[in-house]
Amino acid sequence: MRGRGASALPLLAPFGIGIALLLVVPALITFGYAFTDHTGFGTPRFSGLGNLRRAFEDPLAAAALRASVLFALLAVPIRLLVAVGAGIALARPRRGARLGRVLVYLPTVIPDVALALVFLWVFNPLYGPVNGVLGAFGLPQPVWLSTAWGARWAIVIMMAFPIGEAFLVTLAARRSLPAETYEAAAVDGASAWQQLRHVTLPQLAPLLVLLAVRDTILSLQVNFVPAYVLTDGGPDAATLFLPVYIFDQAFEFLGFGYGAMLTLVLFVVTGVLITIQALLARRWGWLR
Amino acid sequence: MRNRLALVTAAAVLLAACAGGPSGSDGGGTRLSMMLFGGPEEVAGYEAMLAEFEDANPGVEVELTPVGNQDDLLAKLATGFAGGTPPDVFLVNFRKFRQFADQDALAPVQPYLDASDELSAEDFVTPPLEAFRVDGELVCQPQNVSSLVVYYNRDLFEERGVALPTEGWTWDDLLSTAEELTGDGVYGLGTEPALIRIAPFVWSNGGEVVDDQDAPTELELDAGPAREALDWFLDLSLVHGVVPPDVEERSEDAESRFIRGGLGMYLNSRKSVPDLRTIDGFTWDVAPLPVAPGGTPVTMLHSDAYCISAGTGNEDGAWRLVEFAMGTRGQEILAGSGRTVPSRRDVLTSPAFLREDVPPANAEVFVSNAEIARATPNVASWHAVEKLADDILAEIFYGRIDREAGIERLLDETRATFARTGST
Amino acid sequence: MRRALPRLLLAAVALLYASPLLLMVSGSLRGRGLPPPRGVEILPGSPTLDAYATIAEVLPLATYGRNSLVVAALAVPLTVLVGSLAGFGIRLLPPRATRWALAATVGALLVPVTAVWATRFELFRLAGAVDTFVPLVGLALVATSPFLVLVYAFAFWQLPDEQLEAAALDGAGPLRLWWSIGLPQARAATLAVVVLAFTFHWSNFIDPLLYLNRQSLFTAPLGLRLLQQLNPTDWPLLMAGAVLTTLPPVAVFLLGQRAFLGDEGLLATAGRWRR
Repeated sequence: MRGRGASALPLLAPFGIGIALLLVVPALITFGYAFTDHTGFGTPRFSGLGNLRRAFEDPLAAAALRASVLFALLAVPIRLLVAVGAGIALARPRRGARLGRVLVYLPTVIPDVALALVFLWVFNPLYGPVNGVLGAFGLPQPVWLSTAWGARWAIVIMMAFPIGEAFLVTLAARRSLPAETYEAAAVDGASAWQQLRHVTLPQLAPLLVLLAVRDTILSLQVNFVPAYVLTDGGPDAATLFLPVYIFDQAFEFLGFGYGAMLTLVLFVVTGVLITIQALLARRWGWLR
Repeated sequence: MRNRLALVTAAAVLLAACAGGPSGSDGGGTRLSMMLFGGPEEVAGYEAMLAEFEDANPGVEVELTPVGNQDDLLAKLATGFAGGTPPDVFLVNFRKFRQFADQDALAPVQPYLDASDELSAEDFVTPPLEAFRVDGELVCQPQNVSSLVVYYNRDLFEERGVALPTEGWTWDDLLSTAEELTGDGVYGLGTEPALIRIAPFVWSNGGEVVDDQDAPTELELDAGPAREALDWFLDLSLVHGVVPPDVEERSEDAESRFIRGGLGMYLNSRKSVPDLRTIDGFTWDVAPLPVAPGGTPVTMLHSDAYCISAGTGNEDGAWRLVEFAMGTRGQEILAGSGRTVPSRRDVLTSPAFLREDVPPANAEVFVSNAEIARATPNVASWHAVEKLADDILAEIFYGRIDREAGIERLLDETRATFARTGST
Repeated sequence: MRRALPRLLLAAVALLYASPLLLMVSGSLRGRGLPPPRGVEILPGSPTLDAYATIAEVLPLATYGRNSLVVAALAVPLTVLVGSLAGFGIRLLPPRATRWALAATVGALLVPVTAVWATRFELFRLAGAVDTFVPLVGLALVATSPFLVLVYAFAFWQLPDEQLEAAALDGAGPLRLWWSIGLPQARAATLAVVVLAFTFHWSNFIDPLLYLNRQSLFTAPLGLRLLQQLNPTDWPLLMAGAVLTTLPPVAVFLLGQRAFLGDEGLLATAGRWRR
């Protein structure tokens, strides 16, 4: 198909235009606004590093940064463990496998506002089923959304459910692994665990790194709705994730410029976390 | 081939655009948009009022958009203004209108009111007018004069042989009443640990919430009478345990609890009345706030006003709507929803508001409150200050952080927010 | 035993993941204003549909649902169009360009949406599209999510070079190749994209929250949020609202799940996807 590259361009054009208009241009403007006092009204004025200085002095910005990083550290491993674990376990055609896949995927298709409402009910300290179960076993029943860690965990637990994308990718990736290597391993008498350890995971490693990166980014931004519905950033800013704070600043307090600077901060945090992942992956020999 | 592709894409986008529908005014008549925050009864009241307005003004159509809470209203207004599509008229609290006023996004109503044949400032009670003035100029037209009151479960009082709250009752009276009512799954008092709930107690005790009402730079809750009032309020939870603890409040908010019969008294503004009117298991009534020992009777003002967006080209039509809504007829319709305490003097004292067929029997409380209600500062930073303060106050009130350290934090963190008087 | 344990664990996980939906339904069947249940109740003592009857009185959920459907009806086909064209375009590129295009698409996937909230809003404002469905439907221009482009790229991979070359020799342009060779062989991918795009657009909360001001344009998730704000602790009512909002995407998902979760659909492609 060599030489057909040019004729493929018109097919790529709508998507390319979309990416440019809806992603690249807004991202560039965000970068620009971060150095202005833009309120959403009138013309923005250049304000140098004013917004950055303000972010450094703002205790809530620090709280938001902390909340976001903590959330990513807790949520990403759990989400990946479930998505990749279930993906590998359910990949092979077997009786009941499709039912299992459908069930695991199900929470992903529940609109996030509805899912958040369910979890608001699930974590209700007196009425909710979680404390109902804990109580039935004589365990302590925390006031989930009132303590910093209770609220953090509540949102982490909720976000452990909509994992469809990573799950689907793992399913497909596991299916694309050649059967021959498994046959060879079976001949060598490898147990299921050994197969997983020595055949499946090494081959999926680069993909896992990609999934971890994608999920880190997702985790740093998709917690907006659960925080908005479940905790409104509370208690005491424990779940005031950066997206929630950015939303407050930009749209509630008319600080488009400051919001843009906080967005840059989010960018940087994301970049740092991803770089750490990439470095670890390389050190562990998962990426060449 | 390429053209056909472009055509398909263009058609799809066009189709999407059409789905949005028209907005603003067109040749045929005037379309006005109005946005507010309110519950179903309140919204029904506004719909009834708008229907009469449309009947009286053929060719004018008003689209009403209710929003679920105050924060969402602000976000919607901010995006509306930023997007160039603000509602022509909106209702907003005096604690939250300033950030729009300071951006010159509002058309002040003062000149309209001065020129009006229908309305004049004397028609209305004073505290709300003061709350919506900036440098002496009335920016938005206040439509109600609600205030903080004590709702109480009359049957429960009688069942337990507790004296009913009376005019001029004191903090001690409230506390002993709450203590007597607490027990058997009932709590004496329900309230939010919010700045606007605490403020009237501070004022009653002769204290101030901020250092300067017109240009506040910090909260003054750390010493003197203000601190006494704050401590008294915090003690309700931390020492006396007469308010539902956090776990209870999280499971069932105070209002639902009161409606179910699980609360003796409940602090809120007029806002609760439509929901409380659904109670059929017991009788309830309202009382004024208790007075500090040796203090003055005062309450917190709760008032919303009609603000007119600037630059929509519909300002005059919007004022005609406000003029109708604030006339005797308009205010009567809204008073009928039960939610609104009319700011028009003639309607406030009329049977349209003081109804005898529905509770609360002692609705006069809202009338006498109308003149003694005080407002918190109306500066642009106030909304952010309040949001921050309420988070910290909840931490202290429910005993999750130490009182002294908490109050220190409250002052420190809000000071920085005050310092940013603008929005950026 | 050694085999039963993992299976049991898997079954437990699957059941756990079904539980949000089950809890939502059972919660919606409780009578309103009842005291808290003691322990866990799978199904309330005397299930009732009261909450569903009340919802209609409180909010025009039907209008919100219709709006969500209109958005999805416009955005889903556009997503399929943009996504399949881009996926096919990537397939036609020479190998080196393919790698770049895939990398760029994955890169687009990695840009946080929050980063462009406010400024994307500014662009739509300049276009006069605030308070219309345009910004919601417009997301279809990036194929709703670049992930869906990757799904198509993945599906088109299996198309044999010979078949494409033969058709090209017969004078078929890229658009004809896409229409007559690409799409018919990527039905499973299309179905998967339809399901994924539908659930996204139906569930989208942030964009309607930002862009829609008029109540007559509100979508289902916005309506659900409104319901929560008006009745913050009326659990049966809230769960009923959640069930109604969840029903359409779950129905579409169950109808289409075979395409991307079944052994014959998209996953079968994976088995053949080797280089």
